[in-house]
Amino acid sequence: MNRRQLWISLLLLWSLAPMLWQLISSFTTTAALVDGGVPFLQRWTLIHYRQLLSSDPPFWRFLLNSTVLASASTVLTIALAIPAAYGLVRLPQRWLRVSRALIAGAALFPYVLLFLALLELARSLNLGNSLLALAIPYSALSLPLALLLLTAAFEGLPKDLDDAAKLEGMSLVQRLRWVLIPLIAPATASTAILVFLFAWNEYPIALTWLSRSEQLTLPVAMARIAGSSVYSVPYGAYAAATVLGALPLLLLVLLFQRQIVSGLTNGAVKG
Amino acid sequence: MTWLLLTPALLLMALIFGWPMLRYAWLSFHANSVLTGLVPVANGGANWMRLLADDRFWQDVLQTSRFALVSVTAELFLALLIALLLDQRWRGRGAVRALTLLPWALPTTMMALGWRWIFNTPYGPLEAVAGFVGLGPLNLMASPQWTWLATVVADVWKTTPFITLILLAGLQTIPADLYAAFRLEGGRSIQALRDITLPLLLPYILLSLLFRLAQAFGVFDLIQVLTGGGPAGSTESLALYAYFNAMRFLDFGYSATVMLGGFLLLSLSILLGALALRLSGALRPLQP
Amino acid sequence: MTIGRRTLAALLGLTLLFSFGLAWSGQRQIQRVNILMPAPFADATAELVQRFNRDHRGSIALRVTRGPRDTESISDLAISSLLLGSPPFDALLMDVTWLAKYAAAGWLEPLDSYFEPQEIDALVAGARLGNHYDGVLYRWPLIADVGLLYWRKDLMEAPPRTPDQLSSVGRRLMDDGAVNSGFVWQGRQYEGLSCDFVEMLSAFGGNWLNPQTGEPSLNSSEALEAVGWMRSLIRDGISPKAVTNYSESESLQAFKAGDAALMRNWPYAWAELQKPDSAVRGQVGVTLMVHNAGHQPAATLGSWGLSLLKGSDHPQAVIEAIRFLTSPDAQRERFRNQGYTPTDRSLFRDPEMLELSPILPDLEQALTHAVPRPPTPLYAQLSDVLQRQLSGVLTDDLAVDQAMNKAQINSMTIVEAAGGAS
Repeated sequence: MNRRQLWISLLLLWSLAPMLWQLISSFTTTAALVDGGVPFLQRWTLIHYRQLLSSDPPFWRFLLNSTVLASASTVLTIALAIPAAYGLVRLPQRWLRVSRALIAGAALFPYVLLFLALLELARSLNLGNSLLALAIPYSALSLPLALLLLTAAFEGLPKDLDDAAKLEGMSLVQRLRWVLIPLIAPATASTAILVFLFAWNEYPIALTWLSRSEQLTLPVAMARIAGSSVYSVPYGAYAAATVLGALPLLLLVLLFQRQIVSGLTNGAVKG
Repeated sequence: MTWLLLTPALLLMALIFGWPMLRYAWLSFHANSVLTGLVPVANGGANWMRLLADDRFWQDVLQTSRFALVSVTAELFLALLIALLLDQRWRGRGAVRALTLLPWALPTTMMALGWRWIFNTPYGPLEAVAGFVGLGPLNLMASPQWTWLATVVADVWKTTPFITLILLAGLQTIPADLYAAFRLEGGRSIQALRDITLPLLLPYILLSLLFRLAQAFGVFDLIQVLTGGGPAGSTESLALYAYFNAMRFLDFGYSATVMLGGFLLLSLSILLGALALRLSGALRPLQP
Repeated sequence: MTIGRRTLAALLGLTLLFSFGLAWSGQRQIQRVNILMPAPFADATAELVQRFNRDHRGSIALRVTRGPRDTESISDLAISSLLLGSPPFDALLMDVTWLAKYAAAGWLEPLDSYFEPQEIDALVAGARLGNHYDGVLYRWPLIADVGLLYWRKDLMEAPPRTPDQLSSVGRRLMDDGAVNSGFVWQGRQYEGLSCDFVEMLSAFGGNWLNPQTGEPSLNSSEALEAVGWMRSLIRDGISPKAVTNYSESESLQAFKAGDAALMRNWPYAWAELQKPDSAVRGQVGVTLMVHNAGHQPAATLGSWGLSLLKGSDHPQAVIEAIRFLTSPDAQRERFRNQGYTPTDRSLFRDPEMLELSPILPDLEQALTHAVPRPPTPLYAQLSDVLQRQLSGVLTDDLAVDQAMNKAQINSMTIVEAAGGAS
């Protein structure tokens, strides 16, 4: 093993060990979790998973909720961000610079501070306990990043292209649909994944907007599982929940690693 | 036409980012609590006077800054090492990149629970290790002096990959021939790091520093689930205090004041930091 | 042929309509009642709920939602659903310290029209407290709970009565080597510290809120004396330094192991001390907290009770469920199975109950001296301010008068800012 391999192993250990510990705990009986003396062969169980899937509401419901909400937020964000990004690029240079600074400021903003006003909003517009309504704040919160990434993509296109299409007599919608959007597809894919991840993982707004247990998203459900047990060490069930909740993301990251990296690359350059 | 394209997005952002801040500014000059029947009543600057004299607010400012500074510094340092490692070419790099990304992709609340179990006394693995080397029970989650370090560890684990990504992006913009030329002139690799990599990486370092500091200053999910702000309030962050004021104490006027006060302090320190950086000319010698 | 088809269609339509109507009326008859409780209480009532649903099949379906176990977390859950509007719960099991806040926020339905004055009179003294806000009944008690002084019958003839006696008894037993510590209590910075403070403050004749003005009086001479005594317990070693990080469970652990001569704790500890693994089994007595001559002893009021939430669709059904869960039979069962203190006065004289626990008379006596923590909607903030200063005195050796002055000023600021005074 050379030096580099050693470093790589250390890196993987640091990144994965906490999750591996969860994986092991999720298959360990409650008795064995608190007693190292339990013989090796008697330590293992599937009870935590069975409990999780037979609870009310069953755990997959939260996964479903999060997936639905994250997808809706992604679609809404992209639908708003593409025309807006195109519009931004068309603005006079001076305006573009100002709006880009503002948008970067919004992207930096610690959005958790918005929860109280957003709670008031939810109450007065009667949006509380409605899963899909959460897509509205989620889109707004993802827009700054989406705009930064997509304006960068539009700016990367040769300007003559749009003008040539215009000369051909194509309307704005046609140009977007047939020329521009296909060309920025890679950037759009990266943006979509980042937005999806944000919406999937968001906690404070979901915490204040949802209170019915069948509506909860995964992060809120996880936090609620934390407090709702009578046992002082209910970590077997938590661990099982962690494993089930991590699987979709593991898949996502493995599939889209390249898009995530390139997405942040573009954003970093321009932002 | 251009404006028409922009309007929906701008309106939505104004509603979600702009309106809350105006609302907080207004609320911070009102009593809006259980005592007023949850109806706003103007109270002059009483909320702001209370904020200035509120030990808990200032303690949380210190604790939040401590958390942000320590964890972001550690993350930056680690991320630089990891990015340098991941930037080199070797077999299986793609898979390793994806796997190291995973902590960042998981919901914070999810692994916050995982960490609670890891730090658990007496059953967690950390205690087992400490017991093995004879450090006795650490009681890490119950010690007002040390529990904040547990939150730092959990945050470093989770967000280092994010900074790594940005630095990796930066590293990829550095042309390889620069290094080749440097080596031709007989430079050592540690010097290459100092003379080429770091200066060219600086914008990326500053960007991630800025972004992460702002985010860490608003830390909420991790603290709420990992420690709930305890023991004895020693890990409470500003966002958590604002949350408690609203959701636990039903004092919306003061909650808005806490958030606005925290936001002003953050903006001020970022401005001062940027100003100091520019004035000191610290950046100049590093520019290529 | 066509007529036949039409008739058939009509018949089919009628059948559909009929069955639909049946299902509809069937659904309407069953009134669904959902009560939110902390997990331990939800588990303790599971059997009762089953019985209730058996008795009310077809009319009421009672469901107890198992909330978080931690007092703060369950309040967070309840409050966030109340703030959003149209909460999914009909009733809530409430801690005594929440009542003022929830009532002032307008979330609770008055219960005066559902419960008779005689029913309130039938409650044991301590259980009558903490259910009203502004003279209106908002909560019906499920269990009674007060702070107690536990003492070792094998080490002393009689428990100490005054703070000085407590200190000297503790010191003597430590010097004799009978115990490691004289007195264990709850000194960590958390709500338990406020509970202990209320009792010790009363021992010196002080009040948290001035009874005349309703304003905080944390820097009164009585308060300074009380806090000075708390500090002296630790300084003089009668309580171990570790007490400043003790909650109920650590205190109980020390006392159960035979390490301490006296302990401040809640009634649940007694059953724990009688278990086979207890070093002090059968040697423990309970009494009231010490107090100086001329002052009333105080036992801090704990207790949980059920409240009806505003906006419940069928309050009558909810009340029926509340009555069932708080009935003497239910209390007897909870006392037998979980050791929860009953609220019905007659049960304290019940031979079967006395058989189960010989300390019932002592509990009843303590309940007559129950003192609630300040019943203000701002209690949580006020308690936090106090805990910070007390903890500072106990751990960092802050000067007592400075700390309590600060607690006083901070408390006043909170009351003024939140109340709209400018």
